[in-house]
Amino acid sequence: MPNVLCSVATRGRYHTTLPLTLNAIINQTHKVDKLIIFDDNDEPQDMRNELVYSYFFQMLTIKGIQWEWLYAAKKGQHYSHQMANTMEYEWVWRVDDDAIPEPNVLQNLLKYTGPRIGAVGGSVLTPPSIETNNSTGLIDNIDSEPNIQWGIIKEPKYVQHLHCTFIYRAGVHDYNLGLSRVAHREETLFTYGLYQKGYGVVVVPDAVTWHLKNPQGGIRSETSQQLYENDERIFQNFMKFKDNTIVVLNCGLGDHIVFSQVLPKLKNPVVFTCYPEVIPGRAIAEAQDLFGNLDQWNIYKKMDEWVWIDSLESAFEAMYL
Amino acid sequence: MIIISPYTKKLNNGKENPKNYPYWEQLISLIDEPVVQIGLTGEKQLVTDFRENLSINELKELLKECRTWIGCDSFFQHLAWVEKKPGIVLWSISDPKIFGHPENINLLKDRAYLAPNQFLWWEAYEYNPERSVLPEEVIKHL
Repeated sequence: MPNVLCSVATRGRYHTTLPLTLNAIINQTHKVDKLIIFDDNDEPQDMRNELVYSYFFQMLTIKGIQWEWLYAAKKGQHYSHQMANTMEYEWVWRVDDDAIPEPNVLQNLLKYTGPRIGAVGGSVLTPPSIETNNSTGLIDNIDSEPNIQWGIIKEPKYVQHLHCTFIYRAGVHDYNLGLSRVAHREETLFTYGLYQKGYGVVVVPDAVTWHLKNPQGGIRSETSQQLYENDERIFQNFMKFKDNTIVVLNCGLGDHIVFSQVLPKLKNPVVFTCYPEVIPGRAIAEAQDLFGNLDQWNIYKKMDEWVWIDSLESAFEAMYL
Repeated sequence: MIIISPYTKKLNNGKENPKNYPYWEQLISLIDEPVVQIGLTGEKQLVTDFRENLSINELKELLKECRTWIGCDSFFQHLAWVEKKPGIVLWSISDPKIFGHPENINLLKDRAYLAPNQFLWWEAYEYNPERSVLPEEVIKHL
């Protein structure tokens, strides 16, 4: 079975839903290889001093599950998820701190993790349950239909985006770090990015997580409408270019020249460039404004992450083809 | 005619770029044909014919006129590769397997001198002439 990191980002829920989440993870029928808790609280505490948590940590050790409690950067859960994404596990199971997976969830999600699968999610139910039989899971319908995961999923189905909690192939696509601390739409952008890279995104039956939506804590700790509006604007900008290959060449002159040999192979590219005399296109500053953060197109950062040993041209192909 | 592209771009910290070749004067003295230097204003002039600040199109035209070229790991080796004009690249700490092109003659003294991380800033590394091949070695390939 593939190795699985379970990632929980938490804020403001030490004594409400987080213990339920951790207990549910500890008691999965398929054990995770490691549990990492990103503590994004404004005033983090040492939870080893809390009775229930101290038992949790002992239970993890007894069960042979590695665990780590990491004080996060207070920049939002997308930063924590991106860290988990690059910790060199094959799969990451992300679980919100108000999500309570039934004991068989991980076991059943893993049944669908084939070589071309990017993410697998199950039902994410907030009582009372709603009917989502007619939901398509297509990105174009995101504002016009209930999310397919909000209802009981009866059979496997390919979709284009997932919500809240799911297992995903790590190191393939980046979380958008241009989003605000609210990280509105972060999982939609992330899973849709996996889909755009050609990986299957699937919802599957018999993997129910109870989402005990908590009006306090988590992203609801932030009340500024401006933050939501910023994130929504970035999301909508990605949607405007969803039929394009977005190319951001925030790099050197030589890199642009090498990339010129890759460009003809791309499908419907829209290019943002530093050297328009080499590669015509729009300004980098515009890309920064549209997409919030350009790290996912930083070829040197990617080559470093990939421990790259092939040519620069091949690295561009790996990024864009 | 031979083009030389002696320098890669300046570092942000003002120090010598560790990718630069240290023995240009000696190498040029061994070349028995006209040499045109390309580069930016402010760079050290090594030959009489120094053409400063040429545009990409002007460099492409110049490449058509030359027999071959010699340079360090800079944008020029990529431009010549795109223009299908092979030349000699003098390497030091960057890896020709990643940043080079097999169509060129890539002269690397020893892979032991390569920077441990090829993808960070070159400012992190000191300039060290010991890393480069000697002019006599270069001339054998010209």
